Amino acid sequence: MQQVFSIPKSMKKDFKYTFCPGCDHGIAIRLVAEVIDELGIREDIISSTSVGCSVFLYDFLDIDCVEAPHGRALASATGVKRARPDKFVFTYSGDGDFASIGLAESMHTALRGECISSICINNTTYGMTGGQLGPTTLLGQKTTTSPTGRNVDYYGYPIKIAEHIALCDGTAYSARVALDTIPHINQAKQAIKKAFQVQLDGLGFGFVEILSSCPTNWHMTPEDAHKRVREEMIPVFPLGVFKEVSKDGN
Amino acid sequence: MGKIVIDDSRCKSCYICTMTCPKGLIKKSSKTNRLGDYMVEFNDEKGECIACAMCAKRCPDLAIEVYK
Amino acid sequence: MVNEKVLIKGNYAIAQAAVNAGCQCYFGYPITPQTEIGEYLSGKMQELGRGYVCAESELAAINMVMGAVSTGVKAMTSSSSCAVALMQEALSYAASDELPVVLVNVMRTGPGLGYIYPAQGDYNQAVYGGGNGDYKIIVLAPSTVQECIDLTYRAFYLAQKYRNPVILLADGLLGQMMEPASFGEYPYPEVDVSSWALTGAKNRDARSIYSVAREEKKQIQHIYDLHKKFDVITQNETTFEEFNIEDADIILTVFGSMTRNIKAAMNVLRKKGLKVGVFRPITLSPFPHKRINELASRGKDFIVVEMNMGQMFKDVKFAVEGKVNVDLVNRPCGEWLSVEEIVSSVEKIVEGRKQYAASV
Repeated sequence: MQQVFSIPKSMKKDFKYTFCPGCDHGIAIRLVAEVIDELGIREDIISSTSVGCSVFLYDFLDIDCVEAPHGRALASATGVKRARPDKFVFTYSGDGDFASIGLAESMHTALRGECISSICINNTTYGMTGGQLGPTTLLGQKTTTSPTGRNVDYYGYPIKIAEHIALCDGTAYSARVALDTIPHINQAKQAIKKAFQVQLDGLGFGFVEILSSCPTNWHMTPEDAHKRVREEMIPVFPLGVFKEVSKDGN
Repeated sequence: MGKIVIDDSRCKSCYICTMTCPKGLIKKSSKTNRLGDYMVEFNDEKGECIACAMCAKRCPDLAIEVYK
Repeated sequence: MVNEKVLIKGNYAIAQAAVNAGCQCYFGYPITPQTEIGEYLSGKMQELGRGYVCAESELAAINMVMGAVSTGVKAMTSSSSCAVALMQEALSYAASDELPVVLVNVMRTGPGLGYIYPAQGDYNQAVYGGGNGDYKIIVLAPSTVQECIDLTYRAFYLAQKYRNPVILLADGLLGQMMEPASFGEYPYPEVDVSSWALTGAKNRDARSIYSVAREEKKQIQHIYDLHKKFDVITQNETTFEEFNIEDADIILTVFGSMTRNIKAAMNVLRKKGLKVGVFRPITLSPFPHKRINELASRGKDFIVVEMNMGQMFKDVKFAVEGKVNVDLVNRPCGEWLSVEEIVSSVEKIVEGRKQYAASV
């Protein structure tokens, strides 16, 4: 018998995910690893992660990695890329990191058109600290800091990250994907590959926002959490490609 | 015909695979892990598995290997 | 012609010295009185094909430096007082990550926004740090434009040699003044960074640089290791300058550009018959505690002269261990203490000490 599904080569030997049961980080990291394998870029990578559940990327991927303070992954990545323009640089962070504390860094990296690829896990909450209201928390969503649900008067609106990044002139690719079904997982991998490819082609900033579940902090079973991604998140954060610059400049 | 191998040391008993297998070949086991959660087991007596790998693709912990 | 003297402004001198030292990337955000550093380098770095980013904030700037230096290149940022405050988090990370960050602080007045008058009010910020946790930074304090050059070279060297952040603590006076100085050549050997720099996991295991520590024992050991390293730095790299120390009864202690008037004041006081010497720490961190303690053991009194409310004063007091008198001559910011002011303040202190001695 032949093995038809195995652990990607770019994962560390004997890695053990330290995420909660059912957490989509595991799938997202696997997809990143598969794309790295397929593009054959593992040995050229210097990645940057900052604070949140995403920080432990270096425990799982067999690549060089520098940690940045909370929100500064894109600044750190910019430094890496400017110092070593020949290396492949990507960041992996959560929505709090990318779009709240690090919004300025993220946006300006896109505006400068840095040839960096960036993955943002949007799970509508601060996962590592136990489920507080974040920049993407949905209206009505209860968190430990919005106990009666997010209302506009008190908390304002959630941010649509991929659309904002698409508005930046330096962005070469911006898409939103999800991990709740097999077709969505397949699309997510293609999006990650494109966000990586635009860097290899020198076209600019590549970005993928991944809608992910956080069963622990949503107080749901993993399957119900995926149902929530489908029924509550996708209507607010529509899936799709919001910007794509091709090699011929269109 | 296909088969899967579940790595019990990686599995965290989230049960996504049990709901994903189109043939219902993955089920909660009577065995428990060190946290007391029921583990999952693959049981394909009739040789129904076609190695579609949907279970593996949705497994958040990369605990499933698929063979064909 | 590298040894030729040129008339140059302190900020430009620092910038060109960074270029000479092999600084591959500069990241910065404008703030008076150090903006010329970024202005100068914006053209220079592009010309040389090196990295330059007008960062969106000081937070971003220093984190860009952290990213750049993690790959083994030399990189720096520069800023001033209230904006250096924004960088404290990154300095704590850089110290823990053992990243050779070079930061130039051309001090202005604080607290808060303060203003663009020169001051020395960031001694505590630089030496003791505003970041979290037990970490130490190397702090170098130039007193002339020539030293702005020499210590910029040294900052890059020490940062990589010890994998520790270094602050060059200049001030608005030095940054804005012109003085003859020569650049010479970068005098230090290149440090081998190949054992730790991130260059892609090719033909070796993957590397990661991080400060997060989930295991208590590892974290405890890490902090011990950082401090052991700083003990070595203290042993090898503590530097200071002395004038007329041997026969002195009173030692004027200063740092940075305050040194300039102090030498003149020393000469005036000597003419008036007071045996006065000058002691100037060049490394504020590591601080020359040991040498100050030796001088105190020989019965020499200290007078600290600084443009703040007595920040280095506390370190000198700590160093003398109560063996001798330590007094303070200071002003918080603005116009530097003049020779006349220093002379009359020292005379008053000496008179006061005499009267006190007679009364007991």
